[in-house]
Amino acid sequence: MNPSRNRTMEFDVDQLDGAGASDVRSGHWVDCLSRVAIQRDRTAFREVFDHFAPMVKSFAYKVPSLEQPDQFAEDLLQETMLKVWTKAASFDPKLASPSTWIFTIARNMRIDLLRKQARHVVNMVSMHAEDEDGEVDLEDIWFEDENSDVFNVLAQQRSRRQIHDSLKTLPPEQAYVLEKVYMEDKSHSEVAAELSLPLGTVKSRVRLALSKLKLIVDR
Amino acid sequence: MIRYHPDARFLTDYAAGSLPTSQALCVATHLHYCASCRVKIRDLTELGAELFSRQPAAAVEGAEFDRLMQRIDSQPAAAEGSATIRPINVVSILPRAVHKLTNGNLNELHWRRIGRNVRLSRLNVGDRQRETSLLFIKAGGSVPEHKHKGDEITVILRGSFSDREDKYAVGDFIVRTRRETHRPVASQDQDCLCLTTLDEPIEMSNWLLRLGLSVINRFSWPQAQHQAY
Repeated sequence: MNPSRNRTMEFDVDQLDGAGASDVRSGHWVDCLSRVAIQRDRTAFREVFDHFAPMVKSFAYKVPSLEQPDQFAEDLLQETMLKVWTKAASFDPKLASPSTWIFTIARNMRIDLLRKQARHVVNMVSMHAEDEDGEVDLEDIWFEDENSDVFNVLAQQRSRRQIHDSLKTLPPEQAYVLEKVYMEDKSHSEVAAELSLPLGTVKSRVRLALSKLKLIVDR
Repeated sequence: MIRYHPDARFLTDYAAGSLPTSQALCVATHLHYCASCRVKIRDLTELGAELFSRQPAAAVEGAEFDRLMQRIDSQPAAAEGSATIRPINVVSILPRAVHKLTNGNLNELHWRRIGRNVRLSRLNVGDRQRETSLLFIKAGGSVPEHKHKGDEITVILRGSFSDREDKYAVGDFIVRTRRETHRPVASQDQDCLCLTTLDEPIEMSNWLLRLGLSVINRFSWPQAQHQAY
C-alpha cells in the first residue's frame, strides 16, 4: 500500500450522516487493512476478522439447499479471510471501500466454492474426471476495475449513501427480489422459476428497485 | 461506438455473482470496452456490499480465527509483498479473460470450419449448461441462418457484422432470444471476431451440429463432426 496516499482526503465516509454502522467506520477499516498489509499486524487483522466474519458466514448460509451448510460456511469464512490477509497489500481505498472490497472477495470465493462443489458432484456421477475444469480464473471474469480517479471515490460514497437511505423505502417485493439475487446466489431466471413469476416481472421489480436507489437507468 | 449494452438484468446478476460463468464472461468482455457500464457495475457492487453489511450476524467462534492463523503460519512466506507489484500491462487487443482463455494466441486454438468463411473455436469456461466459443467470420462472410433453442449472447471483439436488424461494432453486447432467426454477415472491409455463448443443455443437439447439417450439402465438411461433442 502506498504510504503517500492521502487517506483522509479520499475517505471521508465518516462524515456521512445516516451511513450504516460499517460505513461510518470505513476509515478505521482502511487503517486496519493497511496495518495488516504493511506490518502484518495481527491485532488489526483480528479486528477486521471479528467485524466481517459474521457477515461472511451469513452470506454463506444464504445459499439455499446446501448439503453441509456449516462446513460450507466455515470454508467460505476461511478462504475469504485468508484472501483478505494475503491480498491486503492490493487493497486500494481509491478503488473500493473496505466493506465493498471484502464483499467482492466473499462473492468470488462463494462462486468458486460452489463451482468446485458442483464439479465434484458431476464427477461423482460420471465416474471420471472431466476436462471441464475451465481454465479461466474467476478473478479474470469478476475483476476489480483498476481505472480510478478521485471523482469515482466521491461518486461511490454518494451512491453508497443513496443506497443506504433508500433501501428501507423499497416495497417489500422489490427488496425481496434484490435479496434473492444478491445474497442467495440466484439469477433473475432462477428467482422467476422459484417464485413462479414471469422473468419479465422479476426484471421489472429489480429495475424499479434500482431506479428508486438511483443506481441505473436502462437505456 | 458501443450501442448495445447488457440490460439491468445482466448487470445486476453479474455484480451479484449469480450470473452463470459463460454469460459473466460476456459481460466482463463488454466491460473491457465500455466505461459507462463499468460505472454501473461499480454502483451495483456497492448495493451488494450494502446488503452484505446489513445481514444479521452469524455466530463465529474464536477457534475459527485460531485455525486461520495456523493456516497462515504454515504457509510459505514467499509471496509476501509481491501483491503490490503489478507487471506492466501485457499489450493485448483481447479482453483479459479472453486473453487468458486463449493464451493470447488465436492461431493455436482448435478451429472448426463452418462453411467457407466461418471458423469456430470452443472455449472451456467450466459451464456445462452453455456453449461458449470464439467465432471468426471472414470479411464479407456470413454465418448460415440459424435459430436458437436457447438464448445467445454475442460480443464483438474485432470488426463488425450486421443482420436484418442492425449493424454491430466492437464491444456491442447482442442478445438473441430463442426463436429469433438471424444471419450475421461480417462487413466487407474487415474480418470479424466475436465471443459467443449459447444456452443449451449439452445433451441436446447443438448449434454447431445443426449448423453443420444445414451447410453440409454445400461445403466439404472436415472430420470434425464426431469430435468433442
